[in-house]
Amino acid sequence: MSGSASRTASKSELTIVRLYHDLLGTYGDAGNTEVLVHRAKARGVAVSVIDINPGEQVPRTAEIYLIGGGEDGPQTAALELLRADGGLTSAAGQGATVFAVCAGFQLIGSSLPASGGELTDGLGLVAAYTRYTSDPRSVGEIVTQMPTQDGSGLILTGFENHQGFTQLGEGVSPLGTVLLGVGNGLPTEDNTVTRPEGVWAGNVFGTYLHGPVLARNPELADIVLSSQLGELAPFDDELAEAFARERRTTLFK
Amino acid sequence: MRNQFRLNCATALGLAASRLSRTLRLGRGETLYGRVVSAVDPLALEKLSSGRDIVLVSGTNGKTTTTRTLVELVERGTGEKVSTATFGANMVAGITSALAQFPRHRLVVLECDELFLPEMYNRLRPKVIVLLNLSRDQLHRTGEVRKVSERWHDAFQRDDVSFVIDRDDPFLEYSVAKAGHVIRVTFGGRRHPDAATCPQCARLISWATNDYICECGLGSALPEVRASRALRGPARNAVLAVEAARLMGADVPVEYLHELSESAPDRFSIFSFGSQVVRVKLAKNPESWREALIDVTTDFVILSVNARGIDGLDTSWLWDIDYSSLKGKYVVCTGERRLDVAYRISVQGIDVRTSETFGGAVHRLEEWATEKAVSTPEMFAIASYTAYQDEAARHQGVKP
Repeated sequence: MSGSASRTASKSELTIVRLYHDLLGTYGDAGNTEVLVHRAKARGVAVSVIDINPGEQVPRTAEIYLIGGGEDGPQTAALELLRADGGLTSAAGQGATVFAVCAGFQLIGSSLPASGGELTDGLGLVAAYTRYTSDPRSVGEIVTQMPTQDGSGLILTGFENHQGFTQLGEGVSPLGTVLLGVGNGLPTEDNTVTRPEGVWAGNVFGTYLHGPVLARNPELADIVLSSQLGELAPFDDELAEAFARERRTTLFK
Repeated sequence: MRNQFRLNCATALGLAASRLSRTLRLGRGETLYGRVVSAVDPLALEKLSSGRDIVLVSGTNGKTTTTRTLVELVERGTGEKVSTATFGANMVAGITSALAQFPRHRLVVLECDELFLPEMYNRLRPKVIVLLNLSRDQLHRTGEVRKVSERWHDAFQRDDVSFVIDRDDPFLEYSVAKAGHVIRVTFGGRRHPDAATCPQCARLISWATNDYICECGLGSALPEVRASRALRGPARNAVLAVEAARLMGADVPVEYLHELSESAPDRFSIFSFGSQVVRVKLAKNPESWREALIDVTTDFVILSVNARGIDGLDTSWLWDIDYSSLKGKYVVCTGERRLDVAYRISVQGIDVRTSETFGGAVHRLEEWATEKAVSTPEMFAIASYTAYQDEAARHQGVKP
């Protein structure tokens, strides 16, 4: 992909687009942007953040796009705006990184319930199908394990708060498997079945984890950054690590 | 007659239980009292409220302070004693207890939890309801702001209640859309951080003028009262309290009105650690933290955060707040979730330390002050709900 090659070539600059923060930013998800900026700057990368509000055109050529969580009405409004604009879909097609949380995760998928309840098409950046069930809302701390190249797995923690359940398409990988909490699917009686959480397809990340998730999981923040910047220089942020460790050990002994 | 007998038994048993609770030092006994009364007589609330003029105060922030202001206004302006709950008890048990305590007081002023307000609206048949504001709070419990206003909207349909609302908050305007009588107060409009879309029709709201009138009509009703744009949260609430007091028949002199909006009471406490004094502000959600940060006038600051049920289990909201006013100050974070808040503010470039206990945080600030050769540091703390309560319990005699 030519777009992707040119992106990884420019390693000293990064443009991050924060989409519709006022519509989809209910759970501190704006913090994900701040953490990415903080960790990229620490590596000497010049970062610019563009806030896109309703009515403004979504840039086509930025490296990273973030969408947060929110309520049903604003979710539908954001979906309609993104569909009409086409910028996010175009950028994702050229290899940009998309990091979407909760309502944002649902709307980058193939289908989801609109605010009226009827099923509507999502942006279709990943094959993920969200539906509502009459089950109680999934609310609480969540712990997942994300696969890593060395096979050891990375423990992620967050706070989930959602009504929808999301089925991934055949062959589509989740971001992690659930160790505590609900994640994408209905809780099952059978503990031998692994339960997926989120989605990870190329440079598109989706997750139900708030927290904000990139604040609680600095390693994941670095994975998102390196999807555009390549290998990152080490960054020793004691407080970030202490925070991530405290959450992990408190929730998952 | 039989009805009254059951209620009398209920209140007598409740009193015995709460005395026992206090004797055994299990608590102040108010909530237990209310629970016993409701259990013995399920219609206690209806009976205790019948024939009385009741005001309910609800909203995300400022309920307790506004209720106190309103009690004072009504007592001064009518010359009658007013029944009210103390210590911010605002759910069914606390309200029952308040009503039972002085059943002969005709006037009653109570704060009410947002989620219980529809039930209290139906059971107490209040004369006036004051709605202060709605913003994100305890997201794990209440769901989003929109859901609370939806419940209110569905509940408030009779015309025998007068509402006093801050109409600049679109969620409140939507809550009373079907209500019969509404006194709307405006403070000149201000952008609501949770209202990017209309609560009534879900259209995008344009906040270009810092005010809203949606195409669906929400926000187009003319306000009855216009107050100053310069007022902050507590003062705005005091203006609403004045309108409610007038609806209750209280005479509120104009001079008093000015005095009130200039020095609106707010919840500060003073905690002492040896000779060191700390001014502490209880703040529970992004909006009240933003207000509290404006009050930080010293360089030595403690932030204390827990995430137990009443605090909100999800600490993500800490990231909804801009802490840049703390830059250059000395900040120590404490409470069970001190690392959440410490990391959040460190990302904003603020120098921060942590301490396991509140007392420890004071000590760390003292050390820091010594390093910087500041002899008597003034300290200010912002504490979330249980973090505040835990510390207040250690400082006997300090009332929230």
